[in-house]
Amino acid sequence: MAAKIRLAALAFAMAGALVTAAPAQAQVSDWSSVVQAAKKEGSVVVYSMALGAPYYNEVVRAFERKYGIKVESLDLRASELVERIRTEQAAGRFIGDVELISSTMIEEQVVADKYVQKFPAVPNAANLRQPFATTDFAVPAYIQAFGILVNTQLVKPEEQPKSWSDLLDPKWKGKILSDDMRPLGSGSTMFAVLHKEMPAGFHEKLARQQLVFSRDMRNDARRVARGEYAFYIPQVFAFASDLKGLPVKVVAPVEGAPYALLEFALLRNAPHPNTARLLVNHFLEAESQLVYANAWNAPVIGGIVERANADARPFAESKLMGAATLAERPGMMELARKIYK
Amino acid sequence: MSAVDERRSGPGALASLRLRYSRTFGMAALIALLAFLSLYPVSMLLFGSFHTTPPGVAGAFDLAGYREVFTSETGLVLLNTVGISLAKTIPSLALAALLAWIVARTDTPARGVLEALVTLPFFIPPILTAMAWGMLGNPQVGAVNQAWRWITGSQAALFNVYSYGGVVWHMMQYSTPFLFLFIVEAFRAMDPSLEEASRMCGASQGQTLRRITLTLMLPALTTGFLLSFIRGLENFESPLFFGTPVKIQVVTTLIYDSINQRSVPEYEFATAMSFAVLALMCLLVFWQWRLLGARSFQTVTGKAYAPRLIKLGPWRWATFAICVLFFVVAVVLPVGQLLAGSMFRFFGFYSWDMLTLDHWTEAFDNSDIRRGFLNTLALGLAGATLTMILGGIVAYVSVRTRWQGRRIVDILAWLPWMMPGMVLGVGFLWGFALLPGPVSIYGTIWALLIAYVALGTPLSTRVMSSSYHQLAYDLEECARVHGAGFWRTLWSIVVALSWPSFAVGWVLTFFGIMRELSASILLYSAGSEVLSVVLLRLWGNGQSEVVSVVGLCTMALVLLFRWAQARFLARAVATG
Repeated sequence: MAAKIRLAALAFAMAGALVTAAPAQAQVSDWSSVVQAAKKEGSVVVYSMALGAPYYNEVVRAFERKYGIKVESLDLRASELVERIRTEQAAGRFIGDVELISSTMIEEQVVADKYVQKFPAVPNAANLRQPFATTDFAVPAYIQAFGILVNTQLVKPEEQPKSWSDLLDPKWKGKILSDDMRPLGSGSTMFAVLHKEMPAGFHEKLARQQLVFSRDMRNDARRVARGEYAFYIPQVFAFASDLKGLPVKVVAPVEGAPYALLEFALLRNAPHPNTARLLVNHFLEAESQLVYANAWNAPVIGGIVERANADARPFAESKLMGAATLAERPGMMELARKIYK
Repeated sequence: MSAVDERRSGPGALASLRLRYSRTFGMAALIALLAFLSLYPVSMLLFGSFHTTPPGVAGAFDLAGYREVFTSETGLVLLNTVGISLAKTIPSLALAALLAWIVARTDTPARGVLEALVTLPFFIPPILTAMAWGMLGNPQVGAVNQAWRWITGSQAALFNVYSYGGVVWHMMQYSTPFLFLFIVEAFRAMDPSLEEASRMCGASQGQTLRRITLTLMLPALTTGFLLSFIRGLENFESPLFFGTPVKIQVVTTLIYDSINQRSVPEYEFATAMSFAVLALMCLLVFWQWRLLGARSFQTVTGKAYAPRLIKLGPWRWATFAICVLFFVVAVVLPVGQLLAGSMFRFFGFYSWDMLTLDHWTEAFDNSDIRRGFLNTLALGLAGATLTMILGGIVAYVSVRTRWQGRRIVDILAWLPWMMPGMVLGVGFLWGFALLPGPVSIYGTIWALLIAYVALGTPLSTRVMSSSYHQLAYDLEECARVHGAGFWRTLWSIVVALSWPSFAVGWVLTFFGIMRELSASILLYSAGSEVLSVVLLRLWGNGQSEVVSVVGLCTMALVLLFRWAQARFLARAVATG
């Protein structure tokens, strides 16, 4: 486990100057006044890339029940969310309070010096496990890792891939559905990580398999389950957790799983800043993190993986391969466009 | 001082002056409003098409957007769009003409019921039938293909809805009833004397149909063809659902992708492309005007012809079957699929142990769906009412007055007709994002309302114009002679006699808003989601079963409205 986490630590270290763990560990002395203020605000608007995930809804509903505060969510892909935030703020509309999005997106917003504001401390940040830490602008929420979704009726057990390289077998030509690797998203994250971690020429060979690109991740997993394709990549482990009963299996390849760290950030001029803090703190509660872990995500709070269900643990503690970084993004996107024309 | 001079300088002159000023002010306000609804988004499109960065970000001006538009790749997309629209318009027109002829000119049984059934798909939001056909025509697990394999023992699929054919097929289901509605009244309003003369001269029924009936119908058919072709260029749902997964792109999906599916949104290209589409539409509409003059939209007239019904003998059951078959394919199959989809745990896995009602509970518990439904209903009610009022005013000014500026009013009201919802959405997105001062519309429900009113105004204006054309001018003059003022005359004569048309236009506009997706997808935000957007998001999230539940409820609502419309409007017209 420690080895897996070291990989993650390496990625976070790249955020370098932004990481300031000290504020996260600070005690929040006036928390009860934050709770009171949040109850007065009465609602909170979350811009998330949960894409209808039931575990996200479960945690949100628990928050609504606990505090009697209404949560409104705008649920879109990361690239669409960022664009909406940009346009709304350019138009002087400050609707959203907090975003739940991949760390590189927040990093980009911080670099632009717009869109997000400093995140005041929340008590449960003290429970973050190593190497996770808050920054001035972001609070870690969970790890979303990717593997390979296999249709068990189309692929015999002995043929099921164990490595990313197994997808290069010519017999799978035209049978792989993939998230589009050219625009921003899970597809581009997978592209960047596999480009770095797999042997040279991996993507050129994969492109010869005539991948079919799509952008409806949740629906695409269903398409594989229905037998339209033999494989789907990159399959978010957690998105497959609600496909129980269907003829699919998620494979965590031996090389490891590309992943994205999902974080919270407070949007500029958030109309309900106290509720936003309260909600983020709620997401870092052990019970909330357990909901995420049981849905095959990797939690960011210590002592959760051990409590997760047996079927979820292999995914909650899977070997991580690496994450995409902001610095390499333009080059990687250009390369993806070149290879996957 | 003479008596004339006294009148000029007395209270009468003052009243006349006041009336002239208030009329000038009213016309200026109307022109300003229409310019905001049509010219403002167009000018923002033009601005955006030269601007190197997204709205609200400082940038320079160049021609990069247009350079990208005039590439072979974009040209191919444009050709694709034109080709798909043509491919769906021609068979749709043929089918619509056949159905209209059956309903209006033959003795086919239950023609009244058949007419209601054939027009029903027009009122169903295309996004719902798209989702249903996504399930029905899926090559591996679609119900139609499974049934085909079961019947024939074949391993191959009958058809794949994710293809050019699928895009055209889905578009046809909407355009056929649209064209039917357009043509059927023309069939009914046809002067039968020419047909009778043809028969008396020895021509057979077939020869008369070809040489007389269809020739007489040519203006209506040509107008319908052009309108349907233009609508085909604007279509978003069909290529989004059935084209995008297999890399078939048309201009609307290209514009949408340029803004929403790129790492850095390509606004400059999207707006340049939108402007190019607008120019193309202008040419088409201009051609339509030149070709057809004022005949457009005038198939519904007050002519009192009663064309002779053609006796088909036993063939009337064949024509009956054709109408029923269309209804089964366009309505029963999709509704049946949605029903099946809503009752099983996973779409495509139909076994007893998968039966569940959980999706119904989930749909009714889902706050996004509830909010989307309420927003859509509120926007539909308010939007349809405002659009019809605006259309009524515009039509009154251009048809029944000689006021200065009425031609400008007419053109401004017509302008959005040339703008596909996606193009107008991009224009308003820029426009709202850059609105000066404290006015903040972007991301509010008002943004959607304004876009819907703009999109609906051309139709509402035409509906009300047709109605006003049929009112004799002497009725108004008579009221004025008897001492009624302007407003009293307007209320007691014009409004009282034209409100059935208002009601028909209102229903059409209401359903137009219920259906709208392409502008909504660009202008909604947290809290202002409409049903079509919520459904698209649910579908994208793999929740097709919940989508099925909402689809069924929406269709129930459509039926309810159709029933109410038929019942109350018929009664009102009968007693009016």
